[in-house]
Amino acid sequence: MSAFTTGRPRRRIPVRTPAGGARHNGRQSRKMGGPLAAFPWLLPALALVGVLLVYPFFRSVYGSLFEDNGFSRSFVGLDNYSRLAEDPIFSRSLLNTLMWVAGTLLLPVLLGLLIAVATYRMRFGGVAQLLVVLPYAISGAATAVLWNFMLTTDGAVNQMLRAFGLDGLTHSWLLEWPHNTLAMIVASTWQGTGLNVVLFVIGLRAIPRETVEAASLDGASGWRMFLYVTLPQLRAVTVVVVGMAIVNSLKAFDMIWILTKGGPSRSSETLALTMYRETFRLFHVGYGSAIAVVLTVIVVASAWLYLRRQMPDSARN
Amino acid sequence: MGRSARTVFVVGCALLWLIPLYLLVVNALIPADAYPGEPSWLPEHFALWDNLRTAWDEAAIGSSFVNSLIYAVVCGAAGVVVAAMAAFAVVVLPVPRPAAWFWLIYSGTVFPLQIFLAPLFGLYADTNLYDSRLGLMLIYAAWAVPFAFFLIRNQMTTMPPEVTEAALLDGASFRRLFWQIHVPLLLPGLGAAFIFQFTAVWNDLLFGITLSRSPEVQPVMAALTTLNTAYGSSGPPVILAGALIVSVPTLLVFLVFRGLFLRGITTNAS
Repeated sequence: MSAFTTGRPRRRIPVRTPAGGARHNGRQSRKMGGPLAAFPWLLPALALVGVLLVYPFFRSVYGSLFEDNGFSRSFVGLDNYSRLAEDPIFSRSLLNTLMWVAGTLLLPVLLGLLIAVATYRMRFGGVAQLLVVLPYAISGAATAVLWNFMLTTDGAVNQMLRAFGLDGLTHSWLLEWPHNTLAMIVASTWQGTGLNVVLFVIGLRAIPRETVEAASLDGASGWRMFLYVTLPQLRAVTVVVVGMAIVNSLKAFDMIWILTKGGPSRSSETLALTMYRETFRLFHVGYGSAIAVVLTVIVVASAWLYLRRQMPDSARN
Repeated sequence: MGRSARTVFVVGCALLWLIPLYLLVVNALIPADAYPGEPSWLPEHFALWDNLRTAWDEAAIGSSFVNSLIYAVVCGAAGVVVAAMAAFAVVVLPVPRPAAWFWLIYSGTVFPLQIFLAPLFGLYADTNLYDSRLGLMLIYAAWAVPFAFFLIRNQMTTMPPEVTEAALLDGASFRRLFWQIHVPLLLPGLGAAFIFQFTAVWNDLLFGITLSRSPEVQPVMAALTTLNTAYGSSGPPVILAGALIVSVPTLLVFLVFRGLFLRGITTNAS
């Protein structure tokens, strides 16, 4: 687990800071210049974060209570939220978001785990790992451009399917729902799995050799070894990987924006896309803010619930 | 998993991951006006430099590349320094209620970017920061602070307080204490934070397309998106060449600073 808590104190004793010491020691407190002397050090961070992140956050929450087209606005209370419940585009976008969460949980996490375990200590396993990790090092936008090339109607995927005589499986991948959402989930799996491989390999390295040896002396091997020895030892990493997958898939934007712009006719929008289109393309600023608030609530709540349930006690405090 | 099943699985995965990369390179080699309309599987031409030049000059990836380099380096560094100062204040200096400040600054990482966008747009329109380099730099720096702060603060708490106490007894000022003791000792951690922020800013699309419009200001991912939208006019080889260009810095960072890079992202995991 150490790799994920870099810098967190390993000792569980309370950390003694010089400031803490100074507080009980008049002589030194004077030397440190009193409590106000520290504020200039805090100020730049507070100014940047306060003005550009914290203020916009509250402004968004407040703005979601208004009917606002960018020019005029009027207070409507929670109307924006009740409109959401009836909007077919919002429910489609919620469905797509759920598909993204499910898809990016299943594919990249499972594949990442399998690839990490299969390539670990294998000859040329490092090469295979590098191939899978490379797409992670290139940006989401570049990946999307590449997959646009793969998925267009006369793109490489259909070409491959035809070459194998699977003409029946060809699709206009980006033009039909649900194929567009599914295809984009595959594309983001291609990009995102590498990170999980890296994380799982770090986890595998942390498994004590004695544990594996003891298990194999007891006759465990292959599948049983994986299920009863490796997997439980990877629990800490899995918690982190799954947590990240949930949060990131809720925020999915780049890939969809470049591949389909949420289309055709808004069928592949996720909440992140719907918010962007309502606010900046249709100028429904208040309505868009309400979607942003809903998205934020979902992200924060799922991260919190998940971490609260899954975090081992030692990492919780 | 049996030995041969395992080999088949690994080889299959490697192929699946290799094919798109291979197609990316092979098709970026085709002369833009000779593109057959379907992806090509064999490298028959070598027009990579022409395509790179077209993407760089005519599609204006070049100028936005410079923009993004500035944004990523300057804002990454500024964010890390500002975050380190704040961490120094919260951990080392006698600031009242350190936990409250910590949560206030750290809260910036929790929310999806969408929640900031509309008010930022309004704020920028009112202050003439919309579509300006300064505007993007401010938000990128601010965006970098909370997480860098989290990383650096965690590292700082592991430093033995005796170091600080000894320096204070020797009469060192806060400034000396920070620059000559904490910064050098924390350098690998600061590097990891910087590389993480560099990558995040370089890969940003959302702020770029929301807060800027003109090619002189746009970051590189926004320019790539524009190039992709104009698909018909420039053709896939040029677009793929553009995708190659924008991937170079993060690939380099990844390959050269692999240790720091992985530390940057794996700490993200906690």
